[in-house]
Amino acid sequence: MTADKEKRRAISREAARRRRRVESEVFEDLSRLLPLQQSVRDHLDKPSVIRLTLSYIRMHTLLTGKTGTKAEASHKVKCGQVTDGQMVRHEFNGGCGEEEEKERYDADASKETNMYLRILEGFMMVLSTEGDMIYLSDNVSKYMGLTQAELMGHNIFEFSHPCDHEELRNNLRVTAEEVWSGGKRDFVMRIKSALTHRGRSANLKSATWKVLHCQGRSKVCVAPSSVSCLLLTCQPLPLSHTLLSTQTFTSQHSMDMRFTYCDQRMTLLLGYSTEELLGRSIYDLCHTRDTNCLTKNHFNLCFKSQSVSGRYRMLVRGGGYVWVESHSAVIPNARSSKSRPSANQPLCILCVTYVLSGVEEPSLQLSLDQTVHI
Amino acid sequence: MSARNAAAGGGDRVGGEPADVLVEDKPSGSVSLPSPMTPASAAGMSATMEMPRKRKGSVDNQDTKSASMDMDIEDMDESHNGSDGEDQHVKMKCFREPHSQIEKRRRDKMNNLIDKLSAMIPTCNPMSRKLDKLTVLRMAVQHLKSLKGSSSSFSEANYKPSFLPNDELKHLILKAADGFLFVVGCDRGKIVFVSESVTKILNYSRAELIGQSLFDYIHPKDMGKVKEQLSASELFPRERLIDAKTGLQVQADLPVGAARLCTGARRSFFCRMKINKICVKVEEKEFQASTSKKKDSQKYCTVHCTGYMRSWPTTQLEAEGEGEGEGEADKQDSSHFSCLVAVGRVHSHSSPQVNGEVRVKPTEFITRYAMDGKFTFVDQRATTILGYLPQELLGTSCYEYFHQDDLQHLADRHRKVLRSKEKIETNCYKFKTKSGSFVTLQSQWFSFVNPWTKEVEYLVSTNTVISCDNSRTCRSGNKAEQSSTSKTSEDGKKSLPVIPGISTTPGAMIYAGSIGTQIANELLDSNRLNSSPSSGSVSPFSLSQDKCPHNQISNNVPNGEATDMEIAGKSSSEEDAQGATFSGAESLMGENPQMDLDSVVGPGLGSLSSDEAAMAVIMSLLETDTNLGEAVDFEEMHWSL
Repeated sequence: MTADKEKRRAISREAARRRRRVESEVFEDLSRLLPLQQSVRDHLDKPSVIRLTLSYIRMHTLLTGKTGTKAEASHKVKCGQVTDGQMVRHEFNGGCGEEEEKERYDADASKETNMYLRILEGFMMVLSTEGDMIYLSDNVSKYMGLTQAELMGHNIFEFSHPCDHEELRNNLRVTAEEVWSGGKRDFVMRIKSALTHRGRSANLKSATWKVLHCQGRSKVCVAPSSVSCLLLTCQPLPLSHTLLSTQTFTSQHSMDMRFTYCDQRMTLLLGYSTEELLGRSIYDLCHTRDTNCLTKNHFNLCFKSQSVSGRYRMLVRGGGYVWVESHSAVIPNARSSKSRPSANQPLCILCVTYVLSGVEEPSLQLSLDQTVHI
Repeated sequence: MSARNAAAGGGDRVGGEPADVLVEDKPSGSVSLPSPMTPASAAGMSATMEMPRKRKGSVDNQDTKSASMDMDIEDMDESHNGSDGEDQHVKMKCFREPHSQIEKRRRDKMNNLIDKLSAMIPTCNPMSRKLDKLTVLRMAVQHLKSLKGSSSSFSEANYKPSFLPNDELKHLILKAADGFLFVVGCDRGKIVFVSESVTKILNYSRAELIGQSLFDYIHPKDMGKVKEQLSASELFPRERLIDAKTGLQVQADLPVGAARLCTGARRSFFCRMKINKICVKVEEKEFQASTSKKKDSQKYCTVHCTGYMRSWPTTQLEAEGEGEGEGEADKQDSSHFSCLVAVGRVHSHSSPQVNGEVRVKPTEFITRYAMDGKFTFVDQRATTILGYLPQELLGTSCYEYFHQDDLQHLADRHRKVLRSKEKIETNCYKFKTKSGSFVTLQSQWFSFVNPWTKEVEYLVSTNTVISCDNSRTCRSGNKAEQSSTSKTSEDGKKSLPVIPGISTTPGAMIYAGSIGTQIANELLDSNRLNSSPSSGSVSPFSLSQDKCPHNQISNNVPNGEATDMEIAGKSSSEEDAQGATFSGAESLMGENPQMDLDSVVGPGLGSLSSDEAAMAVIMSLLETDTNLGEAVDFEEMHWSL
């Protein structure tokens, strides 16, 4: 009896092994069809293969879901030589050497794409309405420390800060009316980054939070298997080593947005002296209709530690106002010790404000602060 | 105990972060995750937030074994050690969970993926029954093969394959960024290249732009700014860099010329660019010509340009036949052709501002009040409606302009809005214009609270003009038609007694203005005392109370309310009126229209002579100023959610 059982067990084991082998082979086939480098392909596990396959199919649907115009446009695009400052148009011919032509064309396009990504200093993300990261450009590893293959297909909610989930969900919702109005998106979110301070990739277990500024639009596909999604460019918001022009100024604030410091350019551009401003709240200096914009900025700073404000108006001393945009971050107070930042360290807000316009309505005094004090 | 574990944890991590996972020494049961994210750790760009980690030192042998076995349990044939974050994630959470749970989760995830896959594959879809895993995978292979066949092939060979065809990606990026790429020469601003997407944004075609000077398309006021950004000249001020760690500016001590020109130097600026007007049909054009009043204003949009500088030796360019007159200019240069390669993007929340138009309805304007009702901001629209220039109103109290009939109602609303987070609507009321006549307004007030300190900074009021015809229909506690400023006590419904000291002279203005300060003061008092209005605080007019010649004024504090409310017992017809109580949330004003001015302002004031009234007001103002000037000590603020 035992021998019989043994035999049966052996048979079932054999069958199981065979099944697994067949399955593995199919997985191999699948992964070979994916446009990945060999080194990447070797390290994929089964769920990853499926994820990447899904992404591939979805992206394909997304891109072909567009009407013929886009496809045509891509063919008519000038080939290469942007970097040399020239413009040479190549007609895409189906003649001889097509394969070579295609490759060169693609290589040039790749250069251009890389340039865009380099200029934007960010990566590209395509999100499905459920939050699946359908596609990520391959420079995502520079910002998140994880490669494209590791991340694609996963859900953004697994990688973003829980407190931002609500906002994310709101942004993912694609309504019908947006099809006409363009469906713009602009928000700040915190995402896990496996980069160490030195810029090397660490394990996800020791991930830190990184603040990303995401801008883009929603795209509604009316293809058969419609893939509505968000197209986003995600940029971290660094403040260090920003080149400033004469039309920008920096300021520091306490956490309630009262000025603690501002540079002399502020005086040149807006007319207030530094002494006047210390202790004043920024809300006093701005046009009332922009209060919402400033409040949102303030909230982002409090909870996410970095923010890009929208456009708002700052009142100029003596009359009128200018349109500005501020990029801000929360940083530990400069005077504190160099030890590792802890929760109790006093914080302040650093703002870099770009002045966008000239002084509008210079004769108009809207606020008490603009009038000359008696 | 947990500290010991931490120490025994083999030095996995330095220091004790508040969000550490502390593993309890329990033989069974799962570990619960701490709530990992606190704003404290989220704050600050350099704050490190660590994900929950398992502690190697503190785990039982058994569990370690089970944890590591997870890796191999399913795929004995494969020898991968793929670094998939998801598996680690799963293991982290439940390394004390039994095998079967982990297995089940893995299977579920796989099944989930397979389902998603089958939904995406066209051949799988029509199948009514659920397909097994292997079949789905096989179909996926087929599908991919068919997809690859139609588009350009991914050759296995030389160049690096990317997931998306690059030209598609490029378009996708520009679409997402809502931007266009442009390359301009630095010396003259000649547009050397611009991507197609510019058409969607600026409405100019590429052909129109290439070869033109960038400066032709930039707002005149921004030309200096853009010149500076493009310039290599030493005339312009040095770069300023900010060190994010300290927030201080760091002066760049590089020699200006060389540094600016070197390839890779970044630029980031905003400028306004022209938008091409849409062509109109011929007929409309003729029509337009006849209407000479039509403004031909140029529209601009604000573009955020980011990019970097590139420079090439001109010899190379000339060899490639660049020509077009560019060569001459370059020869003057230090044999370098430098340009800016940048992406211009229009931000989503921008709307092109033309002539600073404020988008309010014609009969609406916005004002901002300090807590005591003084105007601190007046929208320019107010001028057409009220006749005052904003600067004439600034600094004065709104109560000076309110009609006397409306004072108590508005004061009540004022109190309410200071304590409430919602928008408070007023009834219709009259506002005195410059010419002396009254215009009927209706306002919506809300108090603006600083997100950080949670204190009221100011009040914002959206004021709508109500035309005279509507005055009957608008909600009004008072009879709006009544325009007389004098009240008689015969009119029992809503009369105010004649108050000595009140006249239409400036004395009255000061008096009315103090209403606001006193209301603000109340709020501060109640906030400071940090209690319900049941604590009796002294009204700033207590000083004058003692001097009050009338005996009817008594110092009763009915129910211990914050402010003493007494009726000047002048008119006997108002005996019914009880002492008004001002609770935080509700005001009884509405129910008690017989309240007179005393109850609004404070006891006893109504009975003073104008001199004494003025004195009292000045004293209260002095007190108020010190109160409102209190700075918030933000050092003691702590993070809280």
